[in-house]
Amino acid sequence: MRAILSIAKKDLRLMFRDKGDVFFTFVFPMLMAVLFGFVFGGQGGGSKITLALVNESGSKVAASLADDLVKDESFEVTRAETRDAAIAAVRAGKAAAAVVLPASIEEGAGAMFGGGGMEIDCIIDPTRRAEAGLIQGKLNELAFRQFPRMMADPAQSKRMFDQMRASIESSKDLSPGQKLAGAALAAAGESFSRSLSPETAAGAGTDASAGGFSPVQVKLEELPKRKGGPRSSFDVSTPVGMVWGIAGCVGAFAASLVIERSRGTLARLRLAPISRMHLLAGKGLACFITALLVQALLILLAVAGFRCTIAQPAMLAAGCTMAAFGFTGLAMLIAGLCKTEAEANGAGRGALLVLALIGGGTIPLFFMPPVLQTLSYASPFRWAVLAIEGPFWRDLPVSEQFAPLAVLLAIGVGGFVIGARLGALREAR
Amino acid sequence: MLALRDIRKAFGSTVAVEGLSLEVRQGEVFGLLGPNGAGKSTTIGIATGLLAPDAGSVDLLGLGSPTNPRVRMHLGLAPQEITLYGELTARENLLFLADLYGLAGAKTRVDELLALVELDTRADERTAAFSGGMKRRLNLAAALVHDPQLVLLDEPTAGVDPQSRNRILELVRTLAARGKTIVYTTHYMEEAAKICDRVGIVDHGRMLDVGTVAELIARHGGNSTVTVERDGAEVRVVTADPVAEVARQFASGGVTGVRIDRADLESVFLALTGRSLRE
Repeated sequence: MRAILSIAKKDLRLMFRDKGDVFFTFVFPMLMAVLFGFVFGGQGGGSKITLALVNESGSKVAASLADDLVKDESFEVTRAETRDAAIAAVRAGKAAAAVVLPASIEEGAGAMFGGGGMEIDCIIDPTRRAEAGLIQGKLNELAFRQFPRMMADPAQSKRMFDQMRASIESSKDLSPGQKLAGAALAAAGESFSRSLSPETAAGAGTDASAGGFSPVQVKLEELPKRKGGPRSSFDVSTPVGMVWGIAGCVGAFAASLVIERSRGTLARLRLAPISRMHLLAGKGLACFITALLVQALLILLAVAGFRCTIAQPAMLAAGCTMAAFGFTGLAMLIAGLCKTEAEANGAGRGALLVLALIGGGTIPLFFMPPVLQTLSYASPFRWAVLAIEGPFWRDLPVSEQFAPLAVLLAIGVGGFVIGARLGALREAR
Repeated sequence: MLALRDIRKAFGSTVAVEGLSLEVRQGEVFGLLGPNGAGKSTTIGIATGLLAPDAGSVDLLGLGSPTNPRVRMHLGLAPQEITLYGELTARENLLFLADLYGLAGAKTRVDELLALVELDTRADERTAAFSGGMKRRLNLAAALVHDPQLVLLDEPTAGVDPQSRNRILELVRTLAARGKTIVYTTHYMEEAAKICDRVGIVDHGRMLDVGTVAELIARHGGNSTVTVERDGAEVRVVTADPVAEVARQFASGGVTGVRIDRADLESVFLALTGRSLRE
């Protein structure tokens, strides 16, 4: 065991001193996970928030609010015909939220002094929760901006104050004196609103929010999470980054074994009183540890940086362990197949790239066309992605996660045995 | 100490070693002299147990074949290639090997070796930055980490400058003085003549003869050549007794210069193979 640990320690030290290996094993996969996360999520640092807007009201106030939403620089608004169409756009990931201006919006505006207020429905994608606050704030601001216009519209203003008077008159909680004062206030307000011109209203700005009443009610609603669906784009991109990390690790260690053989250091190691299996186990352990490390790093990034949650932590640990084991066997196989450093660095890494591409290393498996999905069965990356995705965000029943784990175990054992045999044959020549 | 008997090894259709036998005695420096491709490195590979012979047997210290890791522990090898990790420091390289052998007091042993090969002041530098000579010395130190009884040095001076070569030869003498048994392969006859107690001449995978340098010259070197300069002209005389010939020439008078060319290992190799070592 001492010899195995010594070899593993030496290999880890060598790997961490090679800038290229560190980049392709740790930095590149993190970049992949983050960039693909943004690509899949449609989130960019300075990009606009996409909204699907439905105007169910024929009122002026709704039309004005809709126009303001379209003009606002924070949003990219697509108009939808119906509430269902807008929600479908959110479900499809085409919009972060559906904003519905209901038919009752005018009625609510008229009743703002009577306990009502403009109601706006906002149905948000649960994966875009971070943007919900901004959307709500903006909707409030734009809704408030409508009040000077409403006050300057004589018909709208009259309806609003008529409703106010009726509400005061019918109130059972107010004393006759209070009702008289309320009627006087309504008359004064109506008189004030008549004095407003559209020009002054347009320049009224957004500071109309003062007062103790609640004239706007933005009703936020989250779409229900779909069982087995990714909760965030980073749920999808993290396993992708993880398999790229493992690929980098496999490439580095397969090449290191070939380099040991071609440069003669392997002969020096074999002179030590250790068996060939000790030697391979030491090198395999270093590869295995690095593969676990890169996976842990990416999970940490997803959880701490992008608020991803792990559905089944214990099964994820099993998936990561088996992925590391399977790919350690693959590293041994590549090292056994490659004769020279050039072969290991060229053909070996090239083969890994192809396997990663067809195995869901760039395009998620569920986005792939059927032909590629069938081809992906031949790629160890497919099984690694499935072993990680299952417990990470798919929340699959444990029984359904055994197949990828078993395939990775077989790849690990097979790769190790065949690779060791091929390596022994090469060394005997 | 080390005995190879009737060794045969072929790689495909190429026979590298054919019927080679040799016996290395305790405490001697044994030279394997032969041109590139003669089969020296294959012989070393078989002697260390890294290569399995197709036929014949190897015995180390009477313990059996060095393919057994317990037997192999008693030998150290400095291969022809520089078998060091360039991204590790000199100290880290040696400590790693000491760790593999499970040495107690590894740090002290490594410090001793670094001092022996005069790399103690560069111990914590990465070996990738070392000169060829420094790498060769560290390569040799790596063979000595576990203090083996038998040290096999495969072309330890290949590709180094004359100054580094002298330091390496000096190191070999130091090791011999400390009682190590050394097998030294080279294609430089001067090196073999300088440091080897006995030399085996190898060519085309066969051991042609074994003996001390003097014995080999006496057996195969032939006569010496005495060149005499007299009245501006040179006269060459081939003789078995060059001293007597010089005396005879001086006695006849008029000699303005004289040079004796004694037979050497080159002559031995030429006589044994019909070609030069450097061909």
